[in-house]
Amino acid sequence: MALSKVDLANQVENQLPQNLVANNLPFRNIIINGDMSIAQRGTSANTLASSGYYTLDRFKFQAISAGVWTMSQDTNVPTGQGFAKSLKMDCTSTDAVSGNDLLIIRQYIEGQNLQYLKKGTANAQSLTASFWVKSNKTGTYILELYDVDNTRQISKSYTIDSADTWEKKTITIDGDTTGAFDNDNGGSLIVSFWLAAGSDYTSGTLSDTWSSPTTANRAVGQVNLADSTSNYINITGVQLEAGTTASDFEFLPVDVNLQRCQRYYQVLADGSQQTLSMIGLGFYYSAVLMIMAIQYYTEMRATPSLDNVSGTNYYRIFANGTNDYFDDFFLTSTNTTNKVCDLRNESDISGATGDIGFVRTENAASFVAFDAEL
Amino acid sequence: MIETVTKKYDSIDNTFCSYRVTYVNSNRVKSVPLDPANTDYQAIQEWIAEGNSVIDNPPE
Repeated sequence: MALSKVDLANQVENQLPQNLVANNLPFRNIIINGDMSIAQRGTSANTLASSGYYTLDRFKFQAISAGVWTMSQDTNVPTGQGFAKSLKMDCTSTDAVSGNDLLIIRQYIEGQNLQYLKKGTANAQSLTASFWVKSNKTGTYILELYDVDNTRQISKSYTIDSADTWEKKTITIDGDTTGAFDNDNGGSLIVSFWLAAGSDYTSGTLSDTWSSPTTANRAVGQVNLADSTSNYINITGVQLEAGTTASDFEFLPVDVNLQRCQRYYQVLADGSQQTLSMIGLGFYYSAVLMIMAIQYYTEMRATPSLDNVSGTNYYRIFANGTNDYFDDFFLTSTNTTNKVCDLRNESDISGATGDIGFVRTENAASFVAFDAEL
Repeated sequence: MIETVTKKYDSIDNTFCSYRVTYVNSNRVKSVPLDPANTDYQAIQEWIAEGNSVIDNPPE
């Protein structure tokens, strides 16, 4: 049989989903860990009432007097969409929320990752947010974008229509021709999922166009997810991308996703995974000062803090045939950058100057990590 | 929530090298570099601005 001329372009157009052809830019998702697959700090944290990073990487729990919560990486996901994990917020103690009370799940984005949006110019790009959400509590919720560099914000409402049912939401946000994002490693954009808001944020008219913030206009209509211990919300598949249409969620290989998260937080040793976990080599600078040189897995956003669990004899150095136990580490600014650091102990150890040994965890609660989050 | 902040001095050259931060109801300890881009450093400055005191025991 003779070969016929093949129209490759038409075959591609006809056989691939249109959105893969027209809108398949790699790394188009501004949100990191939007599929909720990475949870270096742990998969569940309970009795949460104050702000911080607790479980899923890059997603911050932000709260002011808005009940008590369990935040977890959950396996409940929308069927047939490719997701394996979701972020779950479960209310364990209620609050009526008033005044400046609030409850938000948010992610900060570096300004240098947002330059292509051309914010603050006549060519400012629109943005489209898409995500899956499920809650027992139906009603109006608020998604807010907040420009930290220029103190501007925009809020968009969406509705959870059916209780206990996964729903996909898509929200398009106009480009902002005022105020460029700083081209640096600071947090320029905050993407916030409001879950509860006191009257300070709800008493005005929703600010659904970019403007200078008026507090009363930021979360108008937001339901109070903190009003019952039966309340929960699951979120996954969070994507924020340039343009006016939502493409399919951009799944990344787990190693790529992890490495992107490690720019902001990375775990060096975790006793809960391996009680006698190797940390690295250390040496006695003097009889009472032990120093380790550490190179991070990946360059971090900024000079990180050392995040360390302290406890009696949680760590040890084995040198010259002897175990020497200690409680925790500290770092020094002069030897710490966003690429390397030194870890030290001088409060507990006692050895011979110049001796080298391996340092490891000694307790299931031992934990050493670096934190450069926004 | 921050419980205490202590200045840490480098025992090699006696310079102020980092903050040691403890948290309420937690055995988590942070060693925070003196970098304004570090958000823990920023949180310490806000904590100080609220009227809280840093523990400072410089080497003699």
